[in-house]
Amino acid sequence: MSAEMLPPLSLYIHVPWCVRKCPYCDFNSHGVGRDAGLPEEEYITALLMDLDQDLQLLEDQPERELHSVFIGGGTPSLLSGKAYQRLFDGIRERMTLSADCEITLEANPGTLEQGRFAAYRAAGINRLSLGVQTFQPEQLSVLGRIHSAEEAERAVASAQAAGFNNFNIDLMHGLPGQTLETALDDIRRALALGPSHLSWYQLTLEPNTEFYSRPPVLPEDDLLWDIQDHGHAELEAAGFQRYEISAYALESRRSRHNLNYWQFGDYLGIGAGAHGKLTLLEADGNGELVALPRLQRRWKSRQPDAYLRRMQDPRGFLAGQQDIARDDLALEFMMNALRLTDGVSLATLQRTTGLGPEVLEPTLGQARERGLIREDASRLCATPQGLLFLNDLLAMFDA
Amino acid sequence: MTERVTPPSLKHIRNFSIIAHIDHGKSTLADRIIQLCEGLSVRELKEQVLDTMDIERERGITIKAQSVTLDYHADDGNTYQLNFIDTPGHVDFSYEVSRSLYACEGALLVVDAGQGVEAQSVANCYTAIEQGLEVLPVLNKMDLPQADPDKVSQEIEEIIGLDATDACQVSAKSGMGMEALLERLVRDIPPPKGDPEAPLQALIIDSWFDNYLGVVSLVRLFDGTLKKGEKIRLKSTGRDWEAGAIGIFTPKRKETGVLRAGEVGFIVAGIKDIMGAPVGDTIVHTKTADKVERLPGFLKVKPQVYAGMFPISSDDFEDFRDALQKLALNDASLDYEPENSDALGFGFRVGFLGTLHMEIIQERLEREYGLDLLTTAPTVIYEVRMDNGDVLPVSNPSKLPDMANVDELREPICRATILVPQEYVGNVITECVSRRGVQLDMQFLGSQIQLIYELPMAEVVMDFFDRLKSISKGYASLDYSFDRFEAAKLVRLDVLINGDRVDALASIIHRDHAHGRGRLLVEKMKDLIPRQMFDVAIQAAVGGQVVARSTVKALRKNVTAKCYGGDVSRKKKLLEKQKAGKKRMKQVGRVEIPQDAFLAVLKLND
Repeated sequence: MSAEMLPPLSLYIHVPWCVRKCPYCDFNSHGVGRDAGLPEEEYITALLMDLDQDLQLLEDQPERELHSVFIGGGTPSLLSGKAYQRLFDGIRERMTLSADCEITLEANPGTLEQGRFAAYRAAGINRLSLGVQTFQPEQLSVLGRIHSAEEAERAVASAQAAGFNNFNIDLMHGLPGQTLETALDDIRRALALGPSHLSWYQLTLEPNTEFYSRPPVLPEDDLLWDIQDHGHAELEAAGFQRYEISAYALESRRSRHNLNYWQFGDYLGIGAGAHGKLTLLEADGNGELVALPRLQRRWKSRQPDAYLRRMQDPRGFLAGQQDIARDDLALEFMMNALRLTDGVSLATLQRTTGLGPEVLEPTLGQARERGLIREDASRLCATPQGLLFLNDLLAMFDA
Repeated sequence: MTERVTPPSLKHIRNFSIIAHIDHGKSTLADRIIQLCEGLSVRELKEQVLDTMDIERERGITIKAQSVTLDYHADDGNTYQLNFIDTPGHVDFSYEVSRSLYACEGALLVVDAGQGVEAQSVANCYTAIEQGLEVLPVLNKMDLPQADPDKVSQEIEEIIGLDATDACQVSAKSGMGMEALLERLVRDIPPPKGDPEAPLQALIIDSWFDNYLGVVSLVRLFDGTLKKGEKIRLKSTGRDWEAGAIGIFTPKRKETGVLRAGEVGFIVAGIKDIMGAPVGDTIVHTKTADKVERLPGFLKVKPQVYAGMFPISSDDFEDFRDALQKLALNDASLDYEPENSDALGFGFRVGFLGTLHMEIIQERLEREYGLDLLTTAPTVIYEVRMDNGDVLPVSNPSKLPDMANVDELREPICRATILVPQEYVGNVITECVSRRGVQLDMQFLGSQIQLIYELPMAEVVMDFFDRLKSISKGYASLDYSFDRFEAAKLVRLDVLINGDRVDALASIIHRDHAHGRGRLLVEKMKDLIPRQMFDVAIQAAVGGQVVARSTVKALRKNVTAKCYGGDVSRKKKLLEKQKAGKKRMKQVGRVEIPQDAFLAVLKLND
């Protein structure tokens, strides 16, 4: 692999605080209440130091433009526009953002004061992802959300007023007490707000969550199936194309940032508990950068307080790093790539992993035989059946 | 512990076992005896020191015989060598008991003073009396308020015919009466006979394989003296070995370099071949080999139930064979021969003493030998009389010959003794009747009722004991033994998965039960087979006629809803978990069937 062929580079920024932790959430988020004074200034300083430390790793690489930035959480909208202004000024001093760089911020409709969207926009943020989840009051309360349906609608209106026409709405389905009607009502109300993108994902009870230890009663299988079926039709009819297991978008409005994950691109991860994945080049005996890439995952100190203390720590912010073992490479690639309804090209496989299609045989052959992978000589792509049984398909690549 | 300076004379040796039911406190009593003789310091005394296998400790049962040699300073001023040979308490392992008793002159019959006599102890006690042992009744758990020594003494007299008027009353837990018990032990149990100067004659009570030492044998010397470095011969094989390590268990293994007539200890002779020192064999000195007779040894016990065992991964077949050979070394009842199943591939047909024995063997194979195994439902041995008069044993339902050439099918009948308090006797009789039992006798003995039934062995070995326990609040006890084969209206119940007969799921049952059990079976299997990417049809059939069916509806999807860059390790863990779940499954055709489903036929009464 030559340096010019390195995969696109994204930046993920984690904000670890929430007003309240939701019972289904297994992300690194910490409830602090509504009026907590967050150490905003200090955190931005830490993020920029964190970025500096990561960039040292890329020193021997030709400058790589940032292809997308995503600020996730937690609840990033707890931080002010001023804080993000300083953060992005700092990022631009250190890196080049591509001309069409997608910069997304996750926002909770329950945390938005007047004027905040305009300040975000001024800082350079050009896309929002709004965690609405549902418009049904009972279900909002079961999910432990801190906002009402009306607040969600008002948040969208004020975002649009501030110039955000490219925004995603997060919606969940398979909620406790959900009927087909309320599920479809959620979709219709979301579509009525004019988003460009919809993440429509089924509630999953993840380990280390409140729901996992005290599971709510979820809809029966047949109902879930109906919700999925009708919901999908509703979204497609509105011009939203499903391009990943749970992601729907209007033409040309697919999330560049998430696509980069799914296409096994590189990303820096800064902030408490953030994970990054980087392609590092190895120098050969003659000092030339060689074709064999080293893929490294790295993650940062997880607890917000501990993360901040790492500013004074000679170890830096890093909590761990690990090269992806060659034996795991195929599985890790497939775990991402096969989520895409169009899959990925074999060229992407070669470029991001250095693996040729031959190393995936005979698994690919078996998967084709079971009707889980499409017959296509140039692309790796799950069949509709393969998308439904993706976990079974992926298990086949588990070395 | 005190070092023994001079060897004890025969009259200061006592070899004894303890006969007790599983939860009547045998292990605690043994621990207390060891502690009193300072075999272990208090610090070393873990609960239940003698149960050395993990499985034994976890289940609170003793499976294998163990021994411990202790010094007891008695009130008469003498120091006695006590050799305690521990024995298993469960009905499946009664053959181990008779082996251990063979090495003893006496036995303590331990009875829970609150619960009374239990059927298995009765059977073992008879064995001890038949072998000429002195049996001392001991009433344990005297510290508990429900202890009723008079009633239990009376029961011992009525049921076993043993004078219990001055039975020792102890509490192993609190230590009460323990010194008195040891005094009684040295007074009443006779010393061993034998001549340390005579030519060596020693019996192998047990042998096991140690990865570092090779074969270790527990032996009882009847005559002679055995010293380290001497040339010995095994009577059965005629092969000579050099006695390497020799010693006793204290209960830690301790080398003493010598064992004398009357003593019990271990010997390691560098035997690496696992068949080199079979249990029941006689050890003699090479130089006097011709002068010494081979001891009668032990009767080969016959397995009561058979099951197919198959490695989940076919690569493990050879390792599996090796592991079975090693286990069989000290488990004479373990019987096995290769089996080839259409559904499960190559494995072994393994014979066991009962279903607990089967569970334990499977667990040991998995834990100690790292194998992943799938076990089919156990079955008893049937007899088939063919048209031409030939009688064939059948231990595998799928190997039942074509019924067109069969004159009659015979099932094993056993004679079962059940002891149960009066208030539960109705439940027990109902259960026996539903299992095709015929009552032979019913007697009131003390506060318990003794029922004697003839029952088809197949109805007893599966889950009868568990059922008895659950319908009697744990009070009923059971002992049974094979009686005879008897003609019965038996049929093979086949199971078809998506239209294909699965040989490993077939069972032999009574014709009158075919429809009812068939229905229960397909329903049970429906719950046990996980949903797959397609519908799975389960049918039960007798002679080509389907008697029951059920369907496992297809799973509609299996996909993780959310996966963003970040921490992929969690998603990977999920896949690994799914994979681990599949490890316990066997692919039959396109259908993945978990271990539980193969044993569903055992769980129909749940």
